[in-house]
Amino acid sequence: MSWKDIRVLYLREIRSALRDRAIVTNSIILPIFLYPVMMWLAYTGITFVSGQSNDLKSRIMLENVPGVHSPLKRDFETDKSIVLTVSTDPVSDIRAGKLDALVEFVPPKTSVPIANNFETRITYDESRDPSNRAKGRIDQKIARYRDTYLEREAGKLGLSREQFQNFWVDDDNVSGERRMGQFLMGLVLPIIFIIMLAVGGMHPAIDSTAGEREHSTWETLMTTATSRTNILVAKYLYVATMSFIAALLNLAAMMFSMGTVLGPLFRRRQLDATFQIPFQSVPVILVGAVLLALFMSAGMMILASFAKNYKEGQTMVSPFYLALVVPIMFLQTPGIEFTTRLALIPVANVTMVIREAIQGIYHWPQIGITLAVETVCVIAALRIAMRLIQHEDFIVGSYGGSFGKFAKERLLRRTM
Amino acid sequence: MNAPVVVSNLSKTFYDEGRGEVRAVDSISFQCREGEVFGLLGANGAGKTTTLRMLSTILAPSSGTANILGHDVVLDPQGVRKNLGFYSATTALYPRLTARETIDFFARINQYPEARVKERVEYLIQRFALAKYADTRVEKLSSGMKQKVSIARTIAHDPLIIIFDEPTVGLDVLNALEVQESISELRSEGKTIIFSTHIMSEAERLCDRIAIIHGGRILASNTLAGLRESTGQHYLEDIFVLYVKAGQETV
Repeated sequence: MSWKDIRVLYLREIRSALRDRAIVTNSIILPIFLYPVMMWLAYTGITFVSGQSNDLKSRIMLENVPGVHSPLKRDFETDKSIVLTVSTDPVSDIRAGKLDALVEFVPPKTSVPIANNFETRITYDESRDPSNRAKGRIDQKIARYRDTYLEREAGKLGLSREQFQNFWVDDDNVSGERRMGQFLMGLVLPIIFIIMLAVGGMHPAIDSTAGEREHSTWETLMTTATSRTNILVAKYLYVATMSFIAALLNLAAMMFSMGTVLGPLFRRRQLDATFQIPFQSVPVILVGAVLLALFMSAGMMILASFAKNYKEGQTMVSPFYLALVVPIMFLQTPGIEFTTRLALIPVANVTMVIREAIQGIYHWPQIGITLAVETVCVIAALRIAMRLIQHEDFIVGSYGGSFGKFAKERLLRRTM
Repeated sequence: MNAPVVVSNLSKTFYDEGRGEVRAVDSISFQCREGEVFGLLGANGAGKTTTLRMLSTILAPSSGTANILGHDVVLDPQGVRKNLGFYSATTALYPRLTARETIDFFARINQYPEARVKERVEYLIQRFALAKYADTRVEKLSSGMKQKVSIARTIAHDPLIIIFDEPTVGLDVLNALEVQESISELRSEGKTIIFSTHIMSEAERLCDRIAIIHGGRILASNTLAGLRESTGQHYLEDIFVLYVKAGQETV
């Protein structure tokens, strides 16, 4: 192997790639801008929709409000988001969408008489959004009134609200802003990170194999005074580099957008979260990403190298891409533990390593198994690639089948 | 002095799913002398490209040997490729590299001395009048300019042996003439050229010696004058037809 030749070939691949619209879009622009833009759009959309719903007025009918609770009635009357109406047949009107909810104040069911106690029955149509919203507004209003009322009654007895109500539950989230942010990032980032590794490597893998055949540059390359191993290694490093860069750019862009988009959203909802990856996790994430980039690149290159043109290459690589990405979607469920068995599953194991590393959790035995499994996968893929280039019809592009057919006819037959 | 290209009993057999075993090249032998243009004249499917692909080490021979400047095509393929320039209609250029980058890349990867690469690139740019377009991407060049860049990249590493496999296929008359002129110039510089074509006028005009190839076998090999003398025919077309028919009768 000549590293001088590999460098020349590698730089040629990178130079061409950076001038290709599809590769630049998929490996650089998309990872940087797609997800931040998506998050910004989602945030803007949510803000817009919630603004729109706040402006909508709920048509509510009150019935038999006890005189002693007139402040509650006043609260309904003064609320600009509520219009109090009267109906002769409220249930039919709710069904017809002419009324959003009916609030009936009825005597409490309890046998023990409690002064000023009341019970409300809310009639609404759950299948209609305005009716649901009206119910939510009524619930909120009554709960707030109840709290104020109980606080006042407790004050009369010289007690606090907490002392007045037995079995008071108070909670204190000890996770802190940073831990909260890491937890949320752990749920989202690994999946997108892996997807970006695949997306970033896919087009370079196709371009450097099927693309060469389509442009008729493959034969030109085969007549150069360097070994086929050098050509293979240079192409492989180039695809892995593009895959890795895409994932890293995406990770940085995601962290930035989570901080700038999700941060304000959380603060508005009085939730605290800071989006920072622990410094000591960076090497673990990087090693996992490098191994995965190497494995994915090898897999995609092997499949794409059987294609005669770019389009065929995309068709051949797409199932591999889906086979990698779809299963890891299931890992997004919170609470999945990183077991030894999970560490044996390629790709899924790296997803878990990255997820835990973002949260500052390190299961070293599982991390060790993951790295070993991924290394074995990379070596296996490279061995297959080395065996492929020994076949002349594969090299000159005269082999007419796919990798599956080739493996069945040549690779498996020999080993069996 | 030893001949720079020595081919002995070279054969190539393929397995084709439709046709079964196909003997594309059948035990051919020839030698090329230093500084000559050696022509392989044959119809489509005669075995010209397969022969040249074996010489350029893209394909491995099924049997026989071939040596380029003493380097065996099987035992030392890299040594062969280092001393060889290969040009054919199927060897395209990287569309997203500029003309300058293309020549630079092929000079380096074909082991031209590192310290002299820049000088060589500039020389070739001047030689092929590419200065105006040197920093334009190949994909944006006209077909004539692409042709020039293709020849420049073929000789970027200054090889002693150059193979031109049907170089004028698909070119218009003017571009074809330019390619022919380039080949003549290279011969005058002392390069040994193996030139394959099915166009009789090209072979007549360029080749010092012509080998008529048909059905994977060389039917005759001589200078044009020698071929005329041995057949009694004047036109190469008539000579070619005569040998092909005789070859078919023998088969």
